[in-house]
Amino acid sequence: MALNAQCPVCDAEISLPDDTVKDELFECEECGSELVVASVNPFEIEEAPEIEEDWGE
Amino acid sequence: MNSKVKIGLLHSLIRRDEKLLIDEINGRDDAELVMIDDREISFSLKKSQTTEADIILERCINHYRALHALQLFEDSGILCINKSTVASICGSKFETSLMLKQHNVPQPEVRIAFTEKSALEAIEDMGYPVVMKPAVGSWGRLIAKVSTREAAEAILEHKTTLGTYHHSVFYIQQYVEKNGRDIRSFVVGDECIAAVYRTSEHWITNTARGAVATNCPISDELAEISKAAAKAVGGGILAIDVFETEGGLMVNEVNYTMEFKNSIKPTGVNIPEKIVDYVVQCGRENLNG
Ligand SMILES: Nc1ncnc2c1ncn2[C@@H]1O[C@H](COP(=O)(O)OP(=O)(O)OP(=O)(O)O)[C@@H](O)[C@H]1O
Ligand SMILES: [Mg+2]
Ligand SMILES: [Zn+2]
Repeated sequence: MALNAQCPVCDAEISLPDDTVKDELFECEECGSELVVASVNPFEIEEAPEIEEDWGE
Repeated sequence: MNSKVKIGLLHSLIRRDEKLLIDEINGRDDAELVMIDDREISFSLKKSQTTEADIILERCINHYRALHALQLFEDSGILCINKSTVASICGSKFETSLMLKQHNVPQPEVRIAFTEKSALEAIEDMGYPVVMKPAVGSWGRLIAKVSTREAAEAILEHKTTLGTYHHSVFYIQQYVEKNGRDIRSFVVGDECIAAVYRTSEHWITNTARGAVATNCPISDELAEISKAAAKAVGGGILAIDVFETEGGLMVNEVNYTMEFKNSIKPTGVNIPEKIVDYVVQCGRENLNG
């Protein structure tokens, strides 16, 4: 069973596989926005936070 | 029957890399996943930190959170990969250069200066072009190729006026003509497991910035310099950025929370599997004393 929601930026339908985890980052295929899974049950997504100065590898 | 090694994945946001590690751990008989969210933990210096995990695999996105969490877990006697000392060294380009130097690992010429005036003098002495980098930073952000004195003056002034205090230490590196590509090699424990060329029309060749990764055969020279660089910073699971120069290979820098998702396909190496193999092995050795 897939998880469904709408892109908070462009409203496109978003469907993610059911092994999706909380805090997972992904891109909206429609508008390219960086999004993050805020909660799996209920399934909620929001825009990913802005990059911070000490982010990296 | 060996029991499962409980791997504490220290994380915040889950990138594709972390997802691959989660899937790898969940799919194995010899490991169990314990998620440790760096946004939910706090530490007390009065009592030691407890966790169900036998060993911690650090995969934070913030450098300072990773560094401090590792220091605190280690203080409570919990084995961490990578070690906090490795995070400290690799988090600073300056400390990395110092360690590479102390271990005789070839690197491009580097100068460190603390004022606009002394930095400009150092740049003029090295000769153009040079690359200026924040002492702490990643993904190619705020690094600048400087080809003229005018540009050097402007960038030094901008850093001094607009930058945070991290920009008050000027890390200046000789620009290396690398013909459109550099090498990213992956070291896990005592082995150089894979390497890719990162090719771009832009001089910044981070795959996060659109460079294309293709397989790079692991020559003896590449394996040697990669392992030497990993050892110089304290060892563990590390990605080494390497330049090909006329004088041989040189190490640009070492990354301690390495991103590998774009390198699995081109190399055909199951990098998350190699990482978890190593973590399980270290965890098991630790449990058995
Ligand atoms: N001295 C140099 N000469 C030529 N190219 C350079 C030099 N320094 C850096 N570069 C290019 O810029 C890219 C980013 O540099 P560097 O790895 O030092 O920065 P970074 O922000 O730490 O990136 P990351 O942490 O993602 O590896 C490198 O991949 C390299 O191709
Ligand atoms: Mg780099
Ligand atoms: Zn969208």
